[in-house]
Amino acid sequence: MKMSEKMIWAAWERILRALVTVVLIGFLVPILVVVAVSFEPKTYLSFPPSGFSVQWYVQFIHNGDYTSALMNSILIGVAAASLATIAGICGALGVIRAAAPGSTLVGILSVAPAVLPQIVLAIGLYPISVWLGLQGTLLAVIFAHAVIGLPFPFITVCGALTAYSSRLEIASMSLGANYFQTFRHVTFPMIRPAVIAGFIFAFAASLDELVLAIFLSSPATRTLPLLLWEQLNFQITPELAAAATVILVVTSILIFAATVLPRLSKRG
Amino acid sequence: MKSRSFLLFVPIALLAAPFFLAPMTVIGIESFRGKAGLMDEYVKVFSDTGIRAVLMDTFYVAMMVTLVSLLVGYPVAYVLSRLKGPMATIGVFLIILPFWVSTVIRSFAWMILLGRNGPVNVFMEYIGLIADPIRFIDNGIGLMIAMTYIMIPFMVIPLLNGLRAIDPNLLRAAAVLGANPTRQFLIVTLPMSLPHVAVGCAIVFVTSLGFFVTPSLLGGDLVMVSMLIQVQANRLLDWPLASALAIVVLLLTIIVFALLRGSQLASRRKGRAVTGIQS
Repeated sequence: MKMSEKMIWAAWERILRALVTVVLIGFLVPILVVVAVSFEPKTYLSFPPSGFSVQWYVQFIHNGDYTSALMNSILIGVAAASLATIAGICGALGVIRAAAPGSTLVGILSVAPAVLPQIVLAIGLYPISVWLGLQGTLLAVIFAHAVIGLPFPFITVCGALTAYSSRLEIASMSLGANYFQTFRHVTFPMIRPAVIAGFIFAFAASLDELVLAIFLSSPATRTLPLLLWEQLNFQITPELAAAATVILVVTSILIFAATVLPRLSKRG
Repeated sequence: MKSRSFLLFVPIALLAAPFFLAPMTVIGIESFRGKAGLMDEYVKVFSDTGIRAVLMDTFYVAMMVTLVSLLVGYPVAYVLSRLKGPMATIGVFLIILPFWVSTVIRSFAWMILLGRNGPVNVFMEYIGLIADPIRFIDNGIGLMIAMTYIMIPFMVIPLLNGLRAIDPNLLRAAAVLGANPTRQFLIVTLPMSLPHVAVGCAIVFVTSLGFFVTPSLLGGDLVMVSMLIQVQANRLLDWPLASALAIVVLLLTIIVFALLRGSQLASRRKGRAVTGIQS
């Protein structure tokens, strides 16, 4: 290869890298803008903010709507992610370890909710939650969110189970442990990081979900995205930006937990 | 063990039967319960000019978002796949971070950014690119910018996995045989990444078809199919029409993934034919 050609390629690569760096940093801009405008001292949004004030945060904390919506979201998220994780672990064990009859169907069922547009599920779930007398209750949203959360623990646990040999479990059982003892002392410690990651992904999916919440919740069971959504359609205020910033901080802590906790538990 | 192993599927069955399979069945039945006969709602979906316009707009927006996500996402994934050490971790972190931020909040961010007096308009006026603020929110461009921003991680992650899986020895072999870097990219990297391009495009396209939050906030006059379904069901209480529309979206989703699966199987068969290796 000629020298000049090499130099042209190296220059190309450098330009490409610079462009990609700009794109990656640009990715943060929208998020930073929301944080910036939340410190606006006036009652309407402007960019750059006309000053600095935390009044919208004070108002946010004293706004009972946000507190109850946040509580609803956390309750629904934890319950839905727990159901999804239990179903996901059992399903993954059945598909990967036992190759039980119906594995293909279970595999499709467990992954489909991740790609199915939520509006389709919402239209179908509404009449069912009315028939079951669940409409407007927390349970309606919990079951719906458990379905859309299911793919995450199912996929992560399937991945963890294929990563080590089933001979470990066979050894455990040949030494006299029953299924539950084997799961408790052999399988679970091996898949724990995947279980934690799957649970957090399912929780995050619930925390972000809006369409099912629009159809299935009542004003008393309103979730955080739903409240933000209603406010956005009504009026845009710096208080919304403050609320968004608080949610950002909470989610950042979650990401940190999702990436660091599994590693720690692997070591421990 | 085998005989009772199906018990492991009981929790999934308890969850999916009433809250996933039953809803799909309900919309299937409901879609045929139009006032004027079995196929009434489907005839309406494909003959009503208003509905057809919504479907065409949805398709157009999803295509554009997929295309732009690929054009931006491919170079990003390519550069990230060649980084090593902490830089690679930071790069992937930057891509995934917005992915974790609520879709409502990210759409809200773009409402601020692209507003009449928002930073984008102010900046473009300042450098003299435009004389009057552009109304991004009304013309569908703002919607596509925001959706592309939201969808890029879904494109980058499968691409990045695919590009990282390419054996560097193949590139070395190509170099030894006299291929320059451009040719190495064209004959090794690009063809080997195409299956992952297909996966990324399928995910982005299907997710874009079903978008609700962003078009409702930034769409202006542009209506996407999810918004139409929501209005028909929630406000106009026309459940048969809403269900028929939902079935159309569902079928489109299944078709896209069936095409993807078909292309995967075809390329696997082709690979075997070329190399003679059974995989």
